[in-house]
Amino acid sequence: MSKTKKDPMGHYEVLFIVANKYTEQEAKKVVSNVKDIIESAEGKVTFEEFWGKKRLAYKIKNNEYGYYGLYEFDLERKNLPALNKSLRLNADVLRHQIVSVTPKTDEEIKKNEEIKAKIDSRKEEEVRKEEEKEDKLKKESKLNKEEKEEDKENKENNEEKEDKKEDKENNEEKEDKKEDKKEDKKEGKENLKDLDEKLEGILNADDLI
Amino acid sequence: MSNSKNKECYFCANNMEVDYKDVRTLKKFVNFFMKVLPGSRTGVCAWHQRKLSKAVKRARVMSLLSATHK
Repeated sequence: MSKTKKDPMGHYEVLFIVANKYTEQEAKKVVSNVKDIIESAEGKVTFEEFWGKKRLAYKIKNNEYGYYGLYEFDLERKNLPALNKSLRLNADVLRHQIVSVTPKTDEEIKKNEEIKAKIDSRKEEEVRKEEEKEDKLKKESKLNKEEKEEDKENKENNEEKEDKKEDKENNEEKEDKKEDKKEDKKEGKENLKDLDEKLEGILNADDLI
Repeated sequence: MSNSKNKECYFCANNMEVDYKDVRTLKKFVNFFMKVLPGSRTGVCAWHQRKLSKAVKRARVMSLLSATHK
């Protein structure tokens, strides 16, 4: 491992910003040029990534945006200052930072791949579910439309008959309601009378006092 | 992340390393003025707090995090 300083080989990671004046394809060329610089310093690139265009947190040489590139590489420790200098002198690279990192073991790489696969599968499932929902909604709306059309046809046929029937039923119901109300009133009066009698009985009783 | 009642360090609990490229998590440990919060506020263990402050400084160099709030 590269943790002991006696070990001549080190594992490093470089993150750098390419100016915004280039298009994305040109920026990719610059990023590949940096790879050549690393290889010219006898470094072995083990991992590479292109982040794309990102907004910078603050302006660097009047650039508000920049392309980010990332490389991980093995390098002899004595070659590091030379690489640092050549990157600093490169006009295309706005800023760079070399950091020593512990190399990833095979198990960690496998784990990361598994996690990525899981995330991808979940995303796919979500997309599928959404599609299914949309399909269902479409089908339901279609069914509803058909049902409505059928209902309309039936209604048109039955409307005339139903109207007559409803009129009759309504009249009967109204009569029933009137009778109910009268009965209620009567019952209320009777209840009041009973209460009055009871009250009088209580008031007249001499035992209370 | 400003909960002093956190029983376990954020990085220990989630079994993750402090990475200066992961700006989303770094922003949790920075206040409105982009200053690094103290360990007593973040609830991060001392070992990770040291890595954290270094990571924030590295992110500032690469313009991933700003050094001020504006």
